[in-house]
Amino acid sequence: MKHWLETYSIIDFISVGILLTAVTLNAFKSIESYVKAYTINSWLLAGLIAVVGVLVNESHLYMAAVLTVLTKGVLIPIIIWRIIRRMRVAHEVTPYISNTLSLAISGILVAVVYASLQGGIFVTGFSRDALQISIAVILISLFIMITRKKALTMVMGLLFMENGLFLAGFSLTFGMPTIIELGVLFDMLMGVIILGIFAVQIKRVFASADLDKLTVLKG
Amino acid sequence: MAASFAALVLLLVLTIFLRRSQRLLITAGFSLAGLASFLAAGAGFLTVAQGMTFRIVVPLGLPDLPFHLRLDVLSGYFLMIIGLLALFVSIYSIGYVRGFLGVRPVTSLVVFSTFFLAGMFLVVLADDALFFMIAWELMAGASYYLVMFEDERLENRRASFLYLLVAHVGAIAILLSFGILAGLTTGFQGFEGYTFDAMREAKHPQALATAAFLLAFFGFSAKAGVIPLHIWLPEAHPVAPSNVSALMSGVMLKTAIYGMMRVIFDLIGVFPWWWGALVLVFGLISAVLGVLYALLQHDLKKLLAYSSVENIGIILISMGLSMIFASFGLTVLSALAMIAALYHTLNHAMFKGLLFMGAGTVLHATHERSMEKMGGLIKFMPWTSALFLVGCLSIAALPPFNGFVSEWLTYQAFLLSPALTNPLLNLLVPLGAALLALTSALAAALFVKAYGVTFLGHRRSRHPAVIHEAPWSMRIAMSLAALACLALGIFPTYLIHWMDPITKFLVGDTISSSAAGFGWMWLTPIAHDRASYSAPVVFVVILAVVAITYLLLHSRAGTIRRGPLWGCGFEGITSRMQYTAMSFSMPLRRIFGFLFSIKEKVHHLPPTTHSAFPGRLQYHLRVRDRAWIWVYQPISDASFWISRRIGRMQHGRIQVYLIYSFVTIIVLLIFSR
Repeated sequence: MKHWLETYSIIDFISVGILLTAVTLNAFKSIESYVKAYTINSWLLAGLIAVVGVLVNESHLYMAAVLTVLTKGVLIPIIIWRIIRRMRVAHEVTPYISNTLSLAISGILVAVVYASLQGGIFVTGFSRDALQISIAVILISLFIMITRKKALTMVMGLLFMENGLFLAGFSLTFGMPTIIELGVLFDMLMGVIILGIFAVQIKRVFASADLDKLTVLKG
Repeated sequence: MAASFAALVLLLVLTIFLRRSQRLLITAGFSLAGLASFLAAGAGFLTVAQGMTFRIVVPLGLPDLPFHLRLDVLSGYFLMIIGLLALFVSIYSIGYVRGFLGVRPVTSLVVFSTFFLAGMFLVVLADDALFFMIAWELMAGASYYLVMFEDERLENRRASFLYLLVAHVGAIAILLSFGILAGLTTGFQGFEGYTFDAMREAKHPQALATAAFLLAFFGFSAKAGVIPLHIWLPEAHPVAPSNVSALMSGVMLKTAIYGMMRVIFDLIGVFPWWWGALVLVFGLISAVLGVLYALLQHDLKKLLAYSSVENIGIILISMGLSMIFASFGLTVLSALAMIAALYHTLNHAMFKGLLFMGAGTVLHATHERSMEKMGGLIKFMPWTSALFLVGCLSIAALPPFNGFVSEWLTYQAFLLSPALTNPLLNLLVPLGAALLALTSALAAALFVKAYGVTFLGHRRSRHPAVIHEAPWSMRIAMSLAALACLALGIFPTYLIHWMDPITKFLVGDTISSSAAGFGWMWLTPIAHDRASYSAPVVFVVILAVVAITYLLLHSRAGTIRRGPLWGCGFEGITSRMQYTAMSFSMPLRRIFGFLFSIKEKVHHLPPTTHSAFPGRLQYHLRVRDRAWIWVYQPISDASFWISRRIGRMQHGRIQVYLIYSFVTIIVLLIFSR
């Protein structure tokens, strides 16, 4: 199995899958598709962890993979679905710029990342592509956060960014100590719950989930 | 010492239960605080008397950085000062704080006084930089809330903000100074150097030690109120409740003196002469300008606050001299100047505490702060007037009271300075002595004004309310402080003998062998043929003269007749024609006017009755600190300007903030390969 994984460079396939799910965000129009993309992204991330676990024979990576699936692949999407249903908002994500432009910029971002990380200062990880992809995912999700209006798309962007960060850390270190991974996952979970509450409150107070309205809070 | 803290903790617990019954809370609370202070003072006294050192390491605080406490002679001395005045003030507070009953809840006052006391005790006990800073901030924070106590007035909020600001700027400088000292111990490698012990052991290269000294001097000066960092003092002291201002002015400023002594003499230890000269120069500036500013005030507590600036200046003068002597290896002279500094620290705590308590009593009775509306209070408050007079005599450095002894010692240190070989110093030191003499003279004038305008003459207020003498607890507290002033003035030789271990510890020599060489009656700092002072003899002579005068005047009936004031034939003399605080200081305002920013305005009002009568005049005077205009106004303007500029980047849109980080990341990615 190990041999088979290496021959077909499964790691790179999964990494590219993660990148693609992030890029698709630029094209989606509804918040539900965002959640679906996030779910796929998380499962792919967990798969990547498991594959690396097989390659380097580290049993604690299996545990990390299972935890990732449970929280990011199952629990967080469920919470977000519930929030979406509670808010009963219009489901469009209302970007500031057109989807085409958005896609183009994402492409440029990926190119910039690849160009700038070419020197290869990081040689420790299992795959240099994984590092570049993770940085690209971080930038794309940041870009999504910048160009979307709704509070919930912010949360989704943040979640994608966290996946990217996780991948970046993982690609350099073959998995952080389990206690740190647990801590990060728990943080994420709490973050989503709190942000969800905030989003619902913003909707209730401003009668809209558009973050534009928050400018009135400025002193 | 532990018992003292136990009492303070008990007090805090008690406040929780006694919140409902405010009257009981005041009595029980301040009694316990007094007990704690008494225990602390006793512990400090014994420590100095026996020259002992205790150490405790408390395994609290951050992991691997436990708190170190140490009670040595220097901290014992300051502990004694703080405890003694806190004891008096606690007794005073029992009566004073009752004045707030029914006006506002006093729970916060009790709680924060407790924290304030605990903070001051811990500052002098701390033996590592971390714990020192924590105690320092506890003290600053608690006193901030105490200044804020009557928070409905804008003036109070402004003063307490200013105080907090200066306190924090100072604290940052102190922290940086400790950072340098701690870094030197490990070569800027680890955190182990945060204890004072490690700092003592380390070698101090000249440049870094100078940086540490300058930072520490700046930081502690901000707390001590050295000009030009004094601006918070005349704002914060008048608005705080008087028991708090007594503590703040009497002992909180002294913790800064303690910090300077600790850092300069104990932690750094070896220093060039110009450090001392710097301290001396700032001391002189503070002393002269402090007393001049004080002379122009007509708010009693503001006057006292500026006078604190002056006295801190005098302490710094002695300390600077001690540093200069120490750097030239003249240890006996250094010990003499150090004794003068320490002695004046104790004295100032006593008489300034007494004066603020007296001012508080006046405030309590008249509800006036401006001296222009007081006058004639001696008839209503004989006790307070007499005790306030003792404070005035002490602070004006008149024998037989304590202020004289310490200032006399400072002069002795000045007069012995020809032993120095540096020509620049030989120029500076006589000038300093002259300025100190000027200061003392002006201080005497200042307290003639303070006492005369407040207590003598007739009342100036248009609506004189009934004035009562202070309650017993306030009188007892002030009497105790006055007794302390007298005792410190009459028995200096004992005190100096008792203080031996401190000078031994700080500068490595003592003066008691020569100081008390002629028995307890005569104080001869260096040699009896140079200078000597016998406080008991002076006291007895003064007592005798006063007694004889009194007897001569009162022995026959009819020697004293009371009659109306002769007004050169002018009939309509009113109490408003007396000398006022403003007019008293007018000549000095003319001479030293260039040091202040003075705005005078005279309005000629139209005559009310007939043009033959002179018209009425309205006279406005506004005196402002030059330091405020030259130093602080530009800084505050600049910071507002910068804030407005930066404020333009704030749009209130999350997306825009995200763009900032997005662009930063991209730029870093591209350019930081």
